[in-house]
Amino acid sequence: MEENENTLDKAIEALKNEQIPPGPPQEVVKTTITKLAETAGQPDTVKLDNRIRIIEWLKAAKSLTKIAAAAVLLIAAGYATGRLSGPQPPDMAQIQAALEPKIRQNLLDETKQYMQLGLAKSYIRIKDELSQQYREDLNRVALQSVAASNAVTNDLLTELIESFNEAQNQERQRIVAALDQIESNQLHDRNQFGNALATLALQTEDEFIRTKQDMAHFLSNTQPGQSNQDEIINSEN
Amino acid sequence: MVDWQVIIKEHGPVVWQTAYRLLGNHADAADCFQETFVSALEFCRRQRVRNFPALLTRLATARAIDQLRRRFRRSRPETNSANWVALQSTNPSPAESMQQKELTDGLRKSLSKLPPQEAQAFCLRYLNDMSYREIANELDIKTNAAGVLLHRARAKLRESFELSVKEYK
Repeated sequence: MEENENTLDKAIEALKNEQIPPGPPQEVVKTTITKLAETAGQPDTVKLDNRIRIIEWLKAAKSLTKIAAAAVLLIAAGYATGRLSGPQPPDMAQIQAALEPKIRQNLLDETKQYMQLGLAKSYIRIKDELSQQYREDLNRVALQSVAASNAVTNDLLTELIESFNEAQNQERQRIVAALDQIESNQLHDRNQFGNALATLALQTEDEFIRTKQDMAHFLSNTQPGQSNQDEIINSEN
Repeated sequence: MVDWQVIIKEHGPVVWQTAYRLLGNHADAADCFQETFVSALEFCRRQRVRNFPALLTRLATARAIDQLRRRFRRSRPETNSANWVALQSTNPSPAESMQQKELTDGLRKSLSKLPPQEAQAFCLRYLNDMSYREIANELDIKTNAAGVLLHRARAKLRESFELSVKEYK
């Protein structure tokens, strides 16, 4: 099968590529033109335009026939459907009675739907407006609160600074007073110490003099020479 | 009014090539050439022609196939009328020339056995490189029908081709 296919393709290729002498030869062309002239000279039973018109009319008629047949079928089918499915001659009162509640209900439903729609739209609009207003109020209150709190904070800070300064002054005064007290205490102590030293010196001197006298007296009592006693007294002087 | 001299001058080579390719000799191609233009003239009397090259190609193919059919019906040996000069000029070796000649003659014979419309569709497609739509326009059929014709023609040729070549031998 495949071999046949290949052979066929080869044959097609060979036939297609077959060398063809250039042409047509002039004598063939001349003969053809002569023959065409002879044939063209023969009378034609129907003229070309008429023939073409008839052919075109036949073609159009063929398609028109199809369309017409389809239209007739469609109309017949529609008529039959309408005839079979159509109602009996209508009773207007019955139709009105049947239709009125339904129309009323439909109207109510539509009105209700319309109102619900309107309400929903209004609700959304009012909600948006209120949200906007609430946001604006909140921002304004927040700004005012911040401003007020800033003022209070500034006052408190001022008071705090003042109290700090006052406390510092009091502390400084207290330190100065303490230093004064220390200084006066020092002076007092120094005076007391000086007096005490003076007293001690006087007492020591008195005691020393008395000791010296005692010693002289003692020496005079214990040694026979008077000279020693005089020496002691001279040395004291 | 159609100026046939101009038509022949413009489209004559295409008709000649189509006829000569299918018939393979000068005398038959010349007859086919004349018949093609006479058919075209008759066609012009009946209908307006919108595409002369395509019409002439189709008519040339149809006339050539008619001639092929007549030729093989008579069972006249073709070697007498073959154009040996052309064969010698195209093919490098005698063996290859012979092989190609067998193939082309076998295809011609197989084409002559096909129904005319299928043979025309096949030639227009594979020898003249026409599209399906062009073939359909020329044969006045739908594009799908052209495809069907080509498929059938090819299948029949495939079946009969090898046998035809053997018979020709």
